Amino acid sequence: MDATSAAYVETRAARAGGIPRVQRAAALYLGGLVLAFVPLAVLSNDAFWLTVLTYTYLFAGLAVAWNILAGFGGQFSLGHGVFFAIGAYVTATLFVDHGLSPWVSLVPSALASAIVGALIFLPTFRLKGSFFAIATLAFNEVALVLANYAESLTGGPRGIQVPFRAGFANMIFADSRGYAILMLGFMALAVGVSVVLMRTRLGYYLLAVRENEDAARAAGISVVQVKLRATALSAALTAVGGALFAMYVRTIDPPTLFSLPDVGVKFALLALIGGMGTIVGPVLGAFLIVPLESYLRALLGGSLPGLHLIILGVVMLLAALFMRRGITGVIDAALVRWRHRRRHV
Amino acid sequence: MDALLHVLVIGVLLGGIYGLVALGLNLIFGVIRIVNFAHGELVMLGMYGAYLAYSLLGLDAYVSILVVVPALFVVGLVVYRLVLQPLHGESSMQIFATFALVIIFQNVVLAVTRGEGYSVPSRIAGHTLELGDVRVTVSRLAILAAVTLAAVGLHLFLQRTMVGKSIRAVTQDRQAARLMGINVERTFMITFGVGSALAGLAGVLLAPIYTLSPGIGGNFILAAFAVVVLGGLGSVAGAYAGGMIVGIVEAFAGYYIDPELKQAIWFLIFLAVLIVRPSGLFGQPGAEEIGFREQE
Repeated sequence: MDATSAAYVETRAARAGGIPRVQRAAALYLGGLVLAFVPLAVLSNDAFWLTVLTYTYLFAGLAVAWNILAGFGGQFSLGHGVFFAIGAYVTATLFVDHGLSPWVSLVPSALASAIVGALIFLPTFRLKGSFFAIATLAFNEVALVLANYAESLTGGPRGIQVPFRAGFANMIFADSRGYAILMLGFMALAVGVSVVLMRTRLGYYLLAVRENEDAARAAGISVVQVKLRATALSAALTAVGGALFAMYVRTIDPPTLFSLPDVGVKFALLALIGGMGTIVGPVLGAFLIVPLESYLRALLGGSLPGLHLIILGVVMLLAALFMRRGITGVIDAALVRWRHRRRHV
Repeated sequence: MDALLHVLVIGVLLGGIYGLVALGLNLIFGVIRIVNFAHGELVMLGMYGAYLAYSLLGLDAYVSILVVVPALFVVGLVVYRLVLQPLHGESSMQIFATFALVIIFQNVVLAVTRGEGYSVPSRIAGHTLELGDVRVTVSRLAILAAVTLAAVGLHLFLQRTMVGKSIRAVTQDRQAARLMGINVERTFMITFGVGSALAGLAGVLLAPIYTLSPGIGGNFILAAFAVVVLGGLGSVAGAYAGGMIVGIVEAFAGYYIDPELKQAIWFLIFLAVLIVRPSGLFGQPGAEEIGFREQE
């Protein structure tokens, strides 16, 4: 990936706690954004790759949002589909039923998601590791059942259709490049929030909680409060992503929003493959997996059913086996080797 | 009163299915602490194994147990040795890897079968028995019998044999078990194999009931996790009772509240148990305390 060198410095800084100076962080952030924009500038006339890029930016942002709670905070949530769906439903409903501009609806979407997230995750925070993962997975399933059931709110299994009324205020673009830029903006927001977070007290507290909860508590950190704030932040960002997704695809229904392989678990997969607990890792994961998935589907989808997913599964398996720390881990190791060699020549 | 009995019977039979699927998962999750998303796919492989045994060898579904269960044991050993053992101590990467396995297993079966739905006939599965007013198919009774036998067998295996004792030892304290001379890696591998074999058994017994499809494992996996946590990690009796509880709750909620909400209701019960008593109803308190980090 082309954002690697910037990625390296940022992740190293975040992990080691030795944060670069403000100007340097800002320069790296802007440089990374420019790099992320390059494929869009090059490919904007190709309808297929434009769609792929739109999804890549969106899921990069979503994986970054997930990573705030799971990567920095060590709380391996598989329930982020709930927040994604809240954002999608709130924004779509406010637009369809009340004509409210989606730009405005982002605020209630994010707020609702943050509040629900804090409320439902609060009782599960005493659970550790895989137990937390399974409990949050159960939230996803309960929400799926409820979304199917509460027809007056969610349209039930039929879902909600957003009418095509193009216009900037409606967040509906006749030119699909508009969506790609929108999603790039979302990704920039999510990464920006992460960059700022890792320079704040809450960011350090999160890392402390992840590394050793008891030690963090002994050091005077209110562990539950830290987890709650990280959940609220992560859930709010995920809801914004869900809202943008709803306005992009314009048809939302429970099986799509609560899908584990395509939504709830996917955030985790992208972040893991890129490098959990780093700022750029989830972005790199999305830039690897989303285009690969789309490309394989386009290339092989017509031949043997399932073939493109077999290849994707094998790639994921090999990634898990040979890149324990994700893409950023590989880059880190390579850079350390390179420096070592240079020093000893 | 009739309705009550009827719903209870349905619940118990359903509970048998959940308990059977959960029995293997309970070993894998309870002992090795791997969130094995692919457990449903192991069940699915068992179902297709029964079909294969029928179409190639002409075996009745219930006879094919003799072939499919050992085959799934081997599949489990291979999966553990090649995929999960190298990732030991990397719990989130293990979750990731089992999810990759889900994708691979489902789509390999999809590619081979081209998405055609199969069913496995059995000469005896279709018969029904009348118990008072309630009619029960033999295939569902067979599952209830099998889960009971498997639970008793597994209990004896864990209590009486050396392998079973070593499995219990590594569940309690893997460091201490290692110091006592137990080969922890080998024990984990066998545990995963036994868990897979039990998934295969569940698959074979479910094959006469369901139409086979590559994604069918997804129907059982979440229920199975709920059963395991409800009943208690590493507790055979817990898996059995947990299966019954989930089955009966689902049947009653479906009949008396709303069929559409039945799953939400047992998920909520599951969440409540998880939060109030994370060790499960039959589990040893503290069994859930081991987080991702402490395992290393």
